[in-house]
Amino acid sequence: MGLRKENKVLKIILISISFIFLGIFLILPLIYIIVTALRDGISGYVNAVSDEYAIKAAILTIQATVWAVIINTIFGISAAWLITKYAFKGKKILSTFIDLPVTVSPIIAGLIYVLTFGRQSSIYPFLDSHGIQIIFAVPGIVLATIFVTFPFISRELIPVLTAQGTDEEEAAAIMGAGTFTIFKKVTFPHIKWALLYGIVLCTARAMGEFGAVSVLSGHLRGKTNTLPLYIELLYQGYDFTGAFAASSILVVLAIVVLILRLVIEKRGQKDLDLNK
Amino acid sequence: MGYVELHDINKHFKKFHASKDINISIEKGKLVALLGPSGSGKTTILRMIAGLEQPDSGEILIDGKVVNNTPGSERGIGFVFQNYALFRYMTVYDNIAFGLRVKKIPEEEIRDRVRELLELINCEGLEKRFPSQLSGGQRQRVAFARALAPNPQILLLDEPFAAIDAKVRLELRTWLREMITKLNITSIFVTHDQDEAIEVADEIIVTNLGKVEQSGTPQELYKNPATPFVAQFIGHSVEVRNYEKFKHFNKQGENSIAYLRPEFVSIFKKGESVQFANSAEEAIVEDTIFRGSNIEIRVRIHGNLISAIRSINEPEIRVGELVDVFIYRLYVVDGENVVLATNDSITDEDVVI
Repeated sequence: MGLRKENKVLKIILISISFIFLGIFLILPLIYIIVTALRDGISGYVNAVSDEYAIKAAILTIQATVWAVIINTIFGISAAWLITKYAFKGKKILSTFIDLPVTVSPIIAGLIYVLTFGRQSSIYPFLDSHGIQIIFAVPGIVLATIFVTFPFISRELIPVLTAQGTDEEEAAAIMGAGTFTIFKKVTFPHIKWALLYGIVLCTARAMGEFGAVSVLSGHLRGKTNTLPLYIELLYQGYDFTGAFAASSILVVLAIVVLILRLVIEKRGQKDLDLNK
Repeated sequence: MGYVELHDINKHFKKFHASKDINISIEKGKLVALLGPSGSGKTTILRMIAGLEQPDSGEILIDGKVVNNTPGSERGIGFVFQNYALFRYMTVYDNIAFGLRVKKIPEEEIRDRVRELLELINCEGLEKRFPSQLSGGQRQRVAFARALAPNPQILLLDEPFAAIDAKVRLELRTWLREMITKLNITSIFVTHDQDEAIEVADEIIVTNLGKVEQSGTPQELYKNPATPFVAQFIGHSVEVRNYEKFKHFNKQGENSIAYLRPEFVSIFKKGESVQFANSAEEAIVEDTIFRGSNIEIRVRIHGNLISAIRSINEPEIRVGELVDVFIYRLYVVDGENVVLATNDSITDEDVVI
């Protein structure tokens, strides 16, 4: 009984700490965003949100996110499969390099691409003569977004695939199933929820990316400004209503992603319980 | 000419020499056990036959044809994995049907075949269950049915009973043996449990340190161990270095060692009628272990702790009691030679082996 009572006090303390923390660091700023966004009334908010440049920025953000998610999904599945199902030399190195984007500052990531594809690069004449523009253009933004979200999907998949082992795949292979059938029927059901979860994380991170994109974008309003960059621009111009209104779009997108995440986690847990 | 043959097979995993000059011949329709301690290379042999591993050198023949370059799926093989490797996200039905669907067999035929197999394994009514909803024994049966579905010529089983609890294991052993006899399918299974191998297999291939030590029927292995390893591995042997001190046994070679199995020893209470009274050793009982179906009695003779089995129907022997111990025979290992030494006082009496 004593232990139970003690637990109760501890529980209340822990709950209070968590809520105060969440309140100060999350809820309060979010309320502030909404309040500031609505400072000039609903019409002011609507004007700011439906601003031509705001919409273009939102579209560019979604565009970069979609590209990053598609490419990282393909890469993530391939890398995770390679790392968990095959033995080869350099496996450790590959697996370490995948994590690099998380440890490198996004600004550096941006600069790396400027050096690789910019004017001073040795492949620049080739790109230029073929009319391919990467730096200060949409491809650069996509590249930067891919870089910073690089490990998100493979890192979700690797533990799941490791836990599963290779027996089921071998069993299917002995019965004559081809690689694609094995992936579709045997491997994919195992990684389905982890993959979706990875995609959600990747999406969230891609939408909010600022540093690397900022270096590569060139800040051309309506051309290469993503939402985070656009917000920064408005903020520097003392347009607080505009900045916070645009922020609210990102917040809404983030909440959608959060809800998706919850749903996926729940469904995935159910599936896992069934097949434990 | 065997149905499955391995000729001079060698296999390395990096620097580890997993298979050393393996030569095996398995007759059609036989149930063969690959028996050896863990790390002895038995699973590697099985996986090479299945095409899951490639030998570095040597030939694998199935039905007279070299299959080294034939993919596992075209070797006519059914494989039961150690942990069954059932597809966790498929129902029992889909698991069994998988191999047939891959072969693009019409769905009606598949339905009939799956039903037939479910009947064979006594799992009718379980087709909609997922593997997680089955007991260990049922999982094994489903894995067995899945391997059999495409009508393989050869069935390979990797430690088929390892993941099952002891009681069900005994039932499944008998069941599997009956099934395989009924289907008359050439079967090879891997095990580290010699009781399992002796009970289930027609023939046993003993492996150790990547080599085949001996192959033969369980009786042959018992009676004529060809190598020192087999002599000490088969049966629950006790090593005896000074066996010449035992009555009626003579030293064979300078550095020879003897191996003594419980079934070669009889222990009698004082006063019990002893067939070879004069040749028996006297000893004090150090320990008795009740095993349910019998009692293991341990005595120390000339410094060696020797075990014997006594029936529960005989008068009880207690710890500390003075008993007569008669040793029928033991294996003497002299270098690479193994000799069966029989107690000199036995004159071709009726003994089984």
